[in-house]
Amino acid sequence: MSKEEVRLFIGPQHPGITGNMSIEVLLKGDTITWAKTHIGYLHRAFEKLMERRIFIKSFPLVCRICVPEPDTNEENFARGLEELAGIEIPERAKWIRTLVLELSRLQMLIMWYGGIAGSMGLSTPVQWGIGDRDYILDLFEELTGARIYHIYILPGGVRKDLPEGFEERVLKTMDMIEKRLPEYDEVIMENAVVQKRLKGLARIPKEWVEEMGLTGPVARACGFPYDVRKDNPYEVYDQLDFDVITEEGCDVWSMLLVRRREIDLSINLIRQIIDKMPGGEFLTRLPNVLYWKIPRGETYVKSESTRGEFGYYMVTDGSDKPRRVHVKGPSFIHGITLAERLLVGQNIADVAPILVALQTCPPEMER
Amino acid sequence: MDLAERLKKKFEVIDFKKQREDLFIVETTKKDLIPMLFYLKEYEGFRTLTLISCVDWIEDGKFQLSYILWNSRTRDNIMVKFMLNRDEPDFETIYKMWPQAEAYEREIHEMFGVNFEGNPTQHEELILEDWDDIPPMRRDFDTLKYSMERFGEREPKSGINIRKEISEQYDEWRRK
Amino acid sequence: MGKDKYFLNENPEKLTYSGVFKRFDDWARARSLWVVAYGTGCGAIEIRPTFTSRFDAERLGMQMVGTPRQADVIIISGYLTVKTLKRVIRVYEQMQSPKYVVALGACPINGGMYYDSYNAINRLDLYLPVDVWVTGCMPRPEAILAGFKKLQELIDSGKADGWKKYIDNLEWYRENQKKIIKNWRMPNYNW
Repeated sequence: MSKEEVRLFIGPQHPGITGNMSIEVLLKGDTITWAKTHIGYLHRAFEKLMERRIFIKSFPLVCRICVPEPDTNEENFARGLEELAGIEIPERAKWIRTLVLELSRLQMLIMWYGGIAGSMGLSTPVQWGIGDRDYILDLFEELTGARIYHIYILPGGVRKDLPEGFEERVLKTMDMIEKRLPEYDEVIMENAVVQKRLKGLARIPKEWVEEMGLTGPVARACGFPYDVRKDNPYEVYDQLDFDVITEEGCDVWSMLLVRRREIDLSINLIRQIIDKMPGGEFLTRLPNVLYWKIPRGETYVKSESTRGEFGYYMVTDGSDKPRRVHVKGPSFIHGITLAERLLVGQNIADVAPILVALQTCPPEMER
Repeated sequence: MDLAERLKKKFEVIDFKKQREDLFIVETTKKDLIPMLFYLKEYEGFRTLTLISCVDWIEDGKFQLSYILWNSRTRDNIMVKFMLNRDEPDFETIYKMWPQAEAYEREIHEMFGVNFEGNPTQHEELILEDWDDIPPMRRDFDTLKYSMERFGEREPKSGINIRKEISEQYDEWRRK
Repeated sequence: MGKDKYFLNENPEKLTYSGVFKRFDDWARARSLWVVAYGTGCGAIEIRPTFTSRFDAERLGMQMVGTPRQADVIIISGYLTVKTLKRVIRVYEQMQSPKYVVALGACPINGGMYYDSYNAINRLDLYLPVDVWVTGCMPRPEAILAGFKKLQELIDSGKADGWKKYIDNLEWYRENQKKIIKNWRMPNYNW
């Protein structure tokens, strides 16, 4: 380290960092020459706690691994347990689970759309984004009883059926959100300052996508059509009609375009699901949940969250507690391996938009 | 020939199982693992490393290391695993083939104590700070006892008025 | 005996010159509290709706600032790990007196659902002085606003003195903190 370089911690208490992690940089003037990620501020040892609890008691823990989008974790864990134990779930339960997953994606994308503007200094879309997201949280409160941590998806189906008139309220909320989106576009996408700042920022070389295993909108912005909903379909995604969205640009502006078009895709999928939903049972009752033993085996299940591919590696050994549950979040690679190589050569004022575009989420990096 | 027969011809395969339509599980030995990963990456199209994980089988005295790969053409996952002796947990790194293996191996070294030779940042702390006990994810580490000893019991002694209890503790400390 | 019916046992509190200023100070301070922007745990997801347009906390005079030197309140939203506790103590000691701490959730009270984790602390009260506790997992924005209202009442009546207790009993707090933080490399701030 020469005498011209300054060591700085863009530390845990900072309004520009998404969550509670810190990045240590070496600065020469305004340009970053070396970067390193520090995590571990939110480590609660979930995997050790899950080895001490029986299967049904781990569901309140699993919710809290990824804080803004908790339904993906519950669904993965339940699907893994059903595969290891050999349980079939009824058809209507799969459709209800898909509806909950798509609503959860939509509220996370709307909050993100306000957040990327807030990281560059435009503070009005932040208020719009968080305010419009509350209407979807009201729907969740009517369905499951809580705004954020639902604990609605259980092994065997879902906890309760949809209430009376729920479908009309969902469709009305979708119409309302669709009417609000052109206002966001006018302020964010047609803004000359935003376009000049984000076009050409942090270009990812194309070899890195397959080598490092990048997934989600980061890979789709480089032209690779990787989407778990199309590659290895789960629940009812093979009966729905949609295309994978890709862009050719590899920079932050392409990631913004990909996610903006995914908001339209989610609204379209929700309308299709409500149209095609069948009737029937919503839960297959397990014999005695407190004494449920699963035979020996291991599996790896995955699903698509807003950030990328979320995977659960589960090993059981014949008793009523799991032997090992390893949660693989997409931010582990994006936040540690990719960010350390991508931030070299950038301006220090661009650290916040880059991290928000990669959507690094510290709770799922260190569980 | 399908994948199972091709692998059995070249390497020592202890077990091959098809768990789902798109997930294969292969068990092999310690010296055949890295040649098999290289063969799968170059000739079969499994070019992406998804996860490296570790399981502690304390009754048999072994660690199990699992490597999960993904093929972007046929959309299949394959899991390659092998057993490692618990008393001498040493292995080599695959950092040169995939750069994200550095972070996964760093975490396994901190949580289980497995030593990966050749990994440049292995001894730096990733998640814990100033840890001085055995690696915490091993099965013989009792987390409830550690928490009670270090952070104190859960219930306050009087249980009703926390402000009064704290001021009682101040006076008691001062009288000592 | 007869005299005690007509005479008080101690002097009644008179509003002197400095008493009037202190009363005005408390009244003004309660209506304009500034909060350090630090989301320490799970609860940070419900702080953002509280400070934006639906459940507006800015009508109570509260605003998020970026640096602890300009702030009055620090909100501990949820559990704390040992690594974060060291940074929170440093941020708390950099704030100017008088300062207040609000604890959200069930985890600072007695550990919550992470009671057997080797990294999450069980009782926040042994390390920092807390003024208002708000229960829930996570508490709703309306509950957080009720907690802020209670804090305003405590400041108004002059009873929110956690910062005074911290300075008076500093050795007791330091002994508790050094028991769990092993590598103690913190500066000594000038009070």
